[in-house]
Amino acid sequence: MRKNAAHLVIILLTIFLFSGCLGGREINDLEIVIGMGVDKGQDTQDIIITAQVVKEAEVGRTSDESGGGKAYWNVTGNGKSVFDAIRKVTHKTGNRLFVSHSQVVIFGNDLASEGLQEYIDFFLRAHEMRPTALILIAEDQAADIMDAKPETEKFPAINIVKLVKSYRFTSHFYKVNMKDFVSSLMCETTAPTAPIVKVMEEEGQKNIHIYDMAVFKNDKMVGKLVHEETRGLLWVLGKVESGILLVPYPEDQGLLSLEILKAESKVTPKIENGKIVMHIKIKQESSLAEQSSALNLTTMSVFEKIEKAQSEVIRKEIMTAFEKSKELNADIFGFGRMLHKKYKNEWEKLKDRWDEVYPTIELDIEIEAKIQKTDLLVKPAAPGQKEE
Amino acid sequence: MFRYILKILRYTALKSKNSSQDHTSNNGYNEPIPSDLKKSREIIENILHNSSDVSVHEFYFGNNRECKGALLFINSMVDKEEIHKNILQPLMYGTLMFGNDKNLDLSDIDTIKTHYISITDCLKITSLGDLIDKLLAGTVILLVDGSKEALVINTGKRESRNIEEPGTEAVVRGPREGFNENINVSISLIRRKIKSPDLCVEKLKLGEKSKTDVCIVYLKSIANPELIKEIKARLNRIKIDAILESGYIEQFIEDAPYSIFPTVSNSEKPDKIVAKLLDGRAAILVDGTPFVLVVPMVFIETFQSVEDYYSRPYLASIMRIIRFLSYIISTLGPALYVALTVFHQELIPTSLLISIAEGRERVPFPAILEAWLMIFTFDILREAGIRLPKAVGQTIGIVGALVLGQASVEAGLISPIMVIVVSATAIASFAVPAQTDSGTILRYIFLALAGIAGGFGVIMGLLVTLIHLTSLRSFGTPYLWPIAPLNLSALKDVFIRMPLWNMTKHLSAIIWKDADYYRQAPDLKPSPYKNDNSDSKQKE
Amino acid sequence: MNVEKGKICSMQLFFLFAGFVQGSVLLVDFAIGISESQTWMVILIGLGLAIPFVLSYVALAKRFPGMNVVQINDAVYGRFLGKTLSLYYIFFFLMTLSFNIRDVGELYITFLMPDTSFIFLLVAFSATCAYAVSKGLEVLARISHLIALIGIFVPICTTILLIDQMDFSNFLPLFELPFARMLHGIHIMMAIPFCETLVFLMIMASLDKAEKAKKSILSGLLVGTVSLFIVAVRNTAVLGNTQTIWTSPSFQSTRLIDIGTVLTRMDFLIGIAQTFLIFFKCCLFLYASVTAIAQIFNLKTYIPLVLPVAGIEVILAATVFQSKVDHAEISQNAGIIYSAPLMFLIPPLTLLIAKLRNLPNKGGKNDS
Repeated sequence: MRKNAAHLVIILLTIFLFSGCLGGREINDLEIVIGMGVDKGQDTQDIIITAQVVKEAEVGRTSDESGGGKAYWNVTGNGKSVFDAIRKVTHKTGNRLFVSHSQVVIFGNDLASEGLQEYIDFFLRAHEMRPTALILIAEDQAADIMDAKPETEKFPAINIVKLVKSYRFTSHFYKVNMKDFVSSLMCETTAPTAPIVKVMEEEGQKNIHIYDMAVFKNDKMVGKLVHEETRGLLWVLGKVESGILLVPYPEDQGLLSLEILKAESKVTPKIENGKIVMHIKIKQESSLAEQSSALNLTTMSVFEKIEKAQSEVIRKEIMTAFEKSKELNADIFGFGRMLHKKYKNEWEKLKDRWDEVYPTIELDIEIEAKIQKTDLLVKPAAPGQKEE
Repeated sequence: MFRYILKILRYTALKSKNSSQDHTSNNGYNEPIPSDLKKSREIIENILHNSSDVSVHEFYFGNNRECKGALLFINSMVDKEEIHKNILQPLMYGTLMFGNDKNLDLSDIDTIKTHYISITDCLKITSLGDLIDKLLAGTVILLVDGSKEALVINTGKRESRNIEEPGTEAVVRGPREGFNENINVSISLIRRKIKSPDLCVEKLKLGEKSKTDVCIVYLKSIANPELIKEIKARLNRIKIDAILESGYIEQFIEDAPYSIFPTVSNSEKPDKIVAKLLDGRAAILVDGTPFVLVVPMVFIETFQSVEDYYSRPYLASIMRIIRFLSYIISTLGPALYVALTVFHQELIPTSLLISIAEGRERVPFPAILEAWLMIFTFDILREAGIRLPKAVGQTIGIVGALVLGQASVEAGLISPIMVIVVSATAIASFAVPAQTDSGTILRYIFLALAGIAGGFGVIMGLLVTLIHLTSLRSFGTPYLWPIAPLNLSALKDVFIRMPLWNMTKHLSAIIWKDADYYRQAPDLKPSPYKNDNSDSKQKE
Repeated sequence: MNVEKGKICSMQLFFLFAGFVQGSVLLVDFAIGISESQTWMVILIGLGLAIPFVLSYVALAKRFPGMNVVQINDAVYGRFLGKTLSLYYIFFFLMTLSFNIRDVGELYITFLMPDTSFIFLLVAFSATCAYAVSKGLEVLARISHLIALIGIFVPICTTILLIDQMDFSNFLPLFELPFARMLHGIHIMMAIPFCETLVFLMIMASLDKAEKAKKSILSGLLVGTVSLFIVAVRNTAVLGNTQTIWTSPSFQSTRLIDIGTVLTRMDFLIGIAQTFLIFFKCCLFLYASVTAIAQIFNLKTYIPLVLPVAGIEVILAATVFQSKVDHAEISQNAGIIYSAPLMFLIPPLTLLIAKLRNLPNKGGKNDS
């Protein structure tokens, strides 16, 4: 019995002695990074990391003194590699950066056009990083983006996340996270894309703006997709969630705003007589959200016409996206991967000359557009109702 | 090792000495009562060391007052009124008045008992040892000169509390009575609930000095005879001077003395005890305490409240799940907080992490120390609050909550989140009263583990606890039954409580295998009144 | 004389099997590196091919009821050859155990607690295993269903949470993998989750009803396989072509869970489940090792052996490989070669010899 007691004492002692000795870190000692920017130094060719660190003391304080007391600290470090730069940040912070909560990684334009592959490795490999971290490309320098203080949010990085996630209201750009990006990057044919973010000066106030989508060929940025083109891409991928379709109707007399409620797509690749045709079938539903003409449009026959016009708009968006991708010769749609999955044997031959094959692909688009509802109005509020 | 052998040797030496002592003292005890009153009085007073509270009342009775008798009793333990009315009066006046009963031999105890003493609880004894035992137990002894026998008369008076609502187990719905310190009252409470010849009460005396009455109560047709045998064996093993509370017995009969989990359950509510008896368990009642022990105990028992069965099953089931959750919170709460904030900050949602970090900004201690301090303070408050009278206890609560909680947060000594965690833990720990002890100990252990090795430590701790719980047995019943070993049909009454009509037979691990016992008929599911007559009338 | 006194029932055997097979869930991550999107197929084929061998273990146990493999070896091959073979078994148990203990250490070092000392993790883990084993087989059998259910609950849970991120076209094209790699994958899959059930030759001796073993073992295998299968499908469907680059696709795919920005980093669930499962597997291996050693030396009880063997295992696990790459290379290539004869050759052979010599009817009883 006495022996047992002695054991117990030893165990308890070790428990107390070892408490907190095995790799734990107090929250006070953490530099919580919520976003990171990666740039290339202008002259030195060093990599510059801008880490947005939370200043805990400032978070709870209401900004009574206007302008003073930012809740974050953009701390930079430069080095020969990403990790080197991150570790050199500790020279300024005194603590290791804790990047687990980094929700966004912004790459500078220089890096993007030079090729991201060598810089992205750290963000995938580090056990603290999340594969759900969003990836963005800065119009110019990533560091500038990190510095634009938003009006409603405390942290620029969180604000950017919010902005990116707002893609579902317009479908003008798309959210791309680390895993998505790498998935496209690893595919030999698919061109990765990432949203572009830039700072706009408006009335002396720096505002952040999510702009276009950057298109990469392999890992180098080769071009941009503007809003309509991006939506064209998303139609094919079936990732349109919502957005406003502007349909001129009646022709040259008015504009209809249709809110997209639902969109589905199905892409079936076909090889017919050596020619590659992608059959794209899109099902879309929308609601009539706004009209500028004073016509009463709510009849079946008119709806059919509107739906037709709507389909045309969608088709045009898809075609502009496709034309752009042909121009850049970047398979943003992932047609190559789809072909690979369906035509395993033919793919062996196509694979090596995909760059030549891609511009020859034809699209066969079938769109089934529907207007589901007209919201609160049945007829426009206008004097003298006219039937179409 | 050597020390251990020495210890055994010393113990055996002590034991043999003890037994020889017993022998000598028994020598005087087993003697018969001498027929000479004077002599026997002398012997008895000698044995009792002329103790001042022992009264000897000598008197003469009989037709011609020719017989000499003596009443022996302990002053404070008898009802003197009753002695006057039912012993002395009939003996002294009765024998005088009905003098014509010549043929009665008044020196014969039996005659006195059957003819004169108007009390039912009488017993004839012949040995001096019995006499002393009974005398000390609070009865009146009648000795008659010339008789080798004595009459033990129980005057029935004993100070005892009223039947009150037990303080430890308050209920909203259910009987409010509780056991009290008088074992006879306690037994009567059980008897009143089970009026069946099945109910067995076996009495034994434990404690060389205290001679405490201990009763084993069980239902003959349901309780496993092996279990009863085992209980008796374990009880008879106990050689101790006194049993002051059932906790003494618990510590001598439990299966796992080193375990932090109790393997003997207790209660002071008769309805609870009876419910357990009906499951095939056995209760051990101890005189002098309202707490009745029940064996065997299983772990989930502590999460089942009697009230679960009195209220409808839905809320009862939810409450039971809440109890399980509270137990988990109360054991793991601070540990998880420490593990998350010190080792796995990546698991905390970003906004929460920022607010925790904000709260900890000025805290000078590491999180583990902060947690130790807070839990420790809480335990101090709890201990202080229990022992104090109610009015002061409330003050302690206010001081604890306001001064220690709020002020320490404002002073920046403790982070607000820590206060929330510890308060939640504290509240949760009271949701499962029977496991509060083990919960408190586990809380410290897990906190230490979390401080050492974060999530890994907690997981290893959980595994060890699980293995330990699984390996425990209480009087042969696996402690974690019916979770491990798994018994699907018994799971009806573990995390949820099925309606009563659904649980036709349960607790198969405890109930005697050979018992042909169903709690209820199989098809008792109630249904709305079906008016068959109206149906047939309509047809007509 | 048998060193174990406890008995296990057929339902417990079922859960033991299901838990044990799931204990190799790390292997799915490992196999994805070899067989890519065809891992799910490899698992099913592996199961199909392994069943005859597993059945041969059951048949062996049934033929010699109440005897463990050491006793069986003595009975079939005679004292000397039998003991040699038993040593081979023990070597296999000990090696596999050390690999698994190391796996846990690496799991924590890589994903959950990179700053913790490796040796501490190994010691603490092995000590826990030793504690469990010292409590006997019955306790392990009693917690088996908890382990097996956690093992199957976590993959299902994470799969449900990830369902909107799954792309089932990631399985296409079917049969793209070169045949050699497919074979490699199948071999590993057969050997590690399924034929490692060889340890049950030590455990089935404690069955109360050996004749019902077949049914519970097959269903246990099936349940375990379903769990592995869900894991493989989830990983491939979620990660697609990136699945081969990650150290652990399981962790990576569950890290993608992001529901309302609060329900994130669910990989800790995987960590917990894998710890429980590997713990269980290690316990069974440790149990098998110590009982086999105790049986060889004719000890009355195996309890005093538990701690020393666990200590040796920690040293083995800490030193057997230099790095994770070394670990992967060896277990991919050499690791499964040394165990191959034990899994695929000896038990069927033993069964055959026993049949030919008409054992254990003649001399079996005298030997034991």
